[in-house]
Amino acid sequence: MTAALLLSLAGLAFAAEKTSITLWTYPIGGWGNREIVDGILAAFNEKYPNIEVSVEYLNYTDGDVQVTTAIESGTTPDIVMEGPERLVSNWGKAGKMLDISDLWTEEALADISAVSEAVVAACKSPEGVYYEFPLCMTTHTMGINYEVFEKAGALQYLDQETRTWTTENFEKAMQALVDDGVAVPGIIYCGGQGGDQGTCALAMNLYSASFTNPEHTAYTMNSEAGIKGLQKLVDMVNAGLLTADTGIAAADELQLFANGTSAMTLAWNAANASNYAANVDFTPYAMAFPTNEGNPELAGGIWGFGIFDNGDAARAEAAKEFIRFVTSDADQGPKSVYATGFFPVRASFGDIYTGSEKESFKEFSVFMPYLGDYYSVTPNWPVQRTEWWNLLQRIFNGGDVAAEVEVYVNNANAKLEAFRRQMPGTCRPSL
Amino acid sequence: MQYTLAEQERKRKRRENQVGYAFMLPSLLFFFGFVIFPMGMALVTSFTNYSMTSFDFVGFTNYVNAFKDKVFLQASWNTIVIVLVSVPVVTLFSLWVASVVYKMGNAASSFYRVIFYLPIVTGTVAVTVVWKWMFNNYYGLLNYVFTNLGIISKNINWLGNPAYALWCIITILLTTSIGQPIVLYISALANVDPSLVEAAEVDGANNLQVFWKIKWPQIMSTTLYILVITTINSFQCFALIQLLTSGGPNNSTNTIMYKIFQHAYQYNQYGYGNAMGVLLALLIAVFSYFQFRLAKTDNE
Repeated sequence: MTAALLLSLAGLAFAAEKTSITLWTYPIGGWGNREIVDGILAAFNEKYPNIEVSVEYLNYTDGDVQVTTAIESGTTPDIVMEGPERLVSNWGKAGKMLDISDLWTEEALADISAVSEAVVAACKSPEGVYYEFPLCMTTHTMGINYEVFEKAGALQYLDQETRTWTTENFEKAMQALVDDGVAVPGIIYCGGQGGDQGTCALAMNLYSASFTNPEHTAYTMNSEAGIKGLQKLVDMVNAGLLTADTGIAAADELQLFANGTSAMTLAWNAANASNYAANVDFTPYAMAFPTNEGNPELAGGIWGFGIFDNGDAARAEAAKEFIRFVTSDADQGPKSVYATGFFPVRASFGDIYTGSEKESFKEFSVFMPYLGDYYSVTPNWPVQRTEWWNLLQRIFNGGDVAAEVEVYVNNANAKLEAFRRQMPGTCRPSL
Repeated sequence: MQYTLAEQERKRKRRENQVGYAFMLPSLLFFFGFVIFPMGMALVTSFTNYSMTSFDFVGFTNYVNAFKDKVFLQASWNTIVIVLVSVPVVTLFSLWVASVVYKMGNAASSFYRVIFYLPIVTGTVAVTVVWKWMFNNYYGLLNYVFTNLGIISKNINWLGNPAYALWCIITILLTTSIGQPIVLYISALANVDPSLVEAAEVDGANNLQVFWKIKWPQIMSTTLYILVITTINSFQCFALIQLLTSGGPNNSTNTIMYKIFQHAYQYNQYGYGNAMGVLLALLIAVFSYFQFRLAKTDNE
C-alpha cells in the first residue's frame, strides 16, 4: 500500500516535471507570425504537454546581432530556425551548435535526398556533422509586372511554360518596356546586402558563370562569363534599359515593384508573393533569371532548425522532440511547411498547396528543378556579401568591370583564406 | 573643549562623507560594471584576435591592420568630415536660434524649444524613415520640389550618389543634433547677469560688443559642453548610416562606428573591432583636449 502510494506520488512528480526550452525564429514566412506559431505550439503541447516552448521573433535587420550577443554572453536559445549559411557555416563551424545527426534517420535521409541532395549536403559540415534539420526550401526568382509587360508587347520574349528567358530576350524585353514609356523597367539594387541573392543570380546566370568553385573554397566571378555578365548589366544600365541604384536594398526595391514604380523585381519568391499579394494592383509573375543557355541556376533558400549547445541534456532532448514533431510528424510536418509558404524538403509530404488557400504558391514549384548550387554555405559568407554589393556600387559608379571584379574576388578570397587559416577544416565538399 | 569640537566636526564630516559614498555606491557600481569594465575589456581584447573561436594575444597586429585597411582610413576621413562640418554648424546655428528665442515671451520660447527638440524626442528611426522618403530617388519630396522649381533637370539619387550621400547624412545629423544645444543655450543666455548687460549698454556698447564682451564669456562653459557633446555624438554617428546607406555608396558614408559594428557583429572579429574602438576613443580624446584648451584660452 505504502509502496503503491510512493509510486503514484513519484509518477505525479514525473508528470508535473516540465522542461522549458526557447526557440528563436527568423521571419521565415508564417514562422515570423505569433498567431501561426502559437497554433503550432498548441499542437505540439497536445502531444508533449511536459515541454514548454517560449518563442522569440528575430528579424533580419538585427537578428544576427542578437544571436552573436547571446553567444558571447552565454544566453543562446535552445533552438534556432534559419538556413545552413548561419546554422552550419557560421555558428556550427564555430562549435556553438549541437550535432543533431540522430535526427537524420535513414528514413529522413532518404526522404529528403529524394527531393534534393543539395539540401542534405548543405545541412552538414565538411566533417559530416549535421547542425541543421531542414523543414522547407524555395528558389529565389525574379518577378515581373505581367500587365506592364503585356502592354509593352514584351511577353513574347518570355517562355511562360518554363518561366525562363534568354539573355538576349531579356534585353529585348527591357527595350520593349523602355520603348513603351516605362521609366523604370528594373532596378539593380546595391545599397546593402539585403536581397543580394537576386543580384548575384542575375549576374551569374546571364552567361552561366559560377559564383564559387564547386568546393566552395574560392569565389570565381572573375571568370570570363562572370565579367561578361556584369559588363552586360553595366551596358544595360548605361543604355537606360535598367536602373542601378546604389542607395537601396531589396526591401526598398520590392516596395517600388509593389507600388508599380518598377516593372520587375530581382527579389521575388513565394513568401514575398504572399506578403505583397494584398498590396499590388497588378499580377506579379514569377520568372527565372535569364540565361544564355536556357538552363537557369537559381539560388536556393533552405530553412530548418538547429540546437545551440547549452550543456543541458534534458533541454537538448526536448528541443529534438520539438524539431521531430514540427518537421517530421506526418500530420504536423506539412502544416509547418505550409506556414512558411515554401516547399517541403521531404518527398513524402507531396503537394501541400493544391486545394488550399495558398494554391497560387504552386506557381513556384516550376522553379524547383532550377535549384542551383547552394553557394551561400561558403565559409565567411557575410564578408563576401559586403564585398559583393560594394563591387556593384563601384562598377555602376563608373569603375572598370574587369578590374573591379578582380579586386572583389581578391578581397573575398583573401578573407576566406584568412578565415580558413583561423578555423581549419572549413573546406566544404562539393554538393 | 576646542579640541573636542574639532574632533566632533571631523567625525561629522567623516559621517557625511560615508553617507555620500553610500549614496554614490549604486551609481559607482553601475559605472564600473557597465562603463569602466567594458572599456578595460575592449582595450585588452584589442590586442587579441578575439572571435567566436579564438582568443590569442596578437600584440599590435589589429592596430597595424587598421592603418593598412583602406576602408578604415576612408571611414576615419568620413568621420572627421562629419565632425568638422557638424560641430561648428550645430554650435553656431544653436547659438543663433537661442539668441533670438530667449528674448521671446514664455509661450513663444517654449513653442520653439518644443519644435527644435522634437527630432530628439521622435527618435532616430522615425526621423530616418521620413528623411529616407524625402531623399527617395523615385518619388522623394526633394526631387519633386527641385525638379518642379527647375533647380535640377532630372531626379538625383541623393543617398546612392557618392557626391551627395555624406552631405545628406550630415544634414539629417544636424536636424537631430540641434535640439539639446538650443535648449542649453536658451537657459545659459537667460542666466546672463542682466546688470552687466545694462551696465555695458549704459557705457555705450552696441549689441555685438555686448554679446562678445559680456554674454559670450558667461556662456563659455555651456559652449564647451555643447562642443564636447556634439563632437562625441558626431564621432559616434552610426544609426543614420545603418538605416540609410550601410556605409555606401563606395564607402562614401562609412564611419568608424559603422565599421566597428560590421567587424564585431557581421564578421565576428571582436578583437579587430575593439582595436578600431580604441582608436576612435583616442581620436575623440584628442579633439576634446583641443576644445578644452581653446575654451580655457578664451576664458583667460
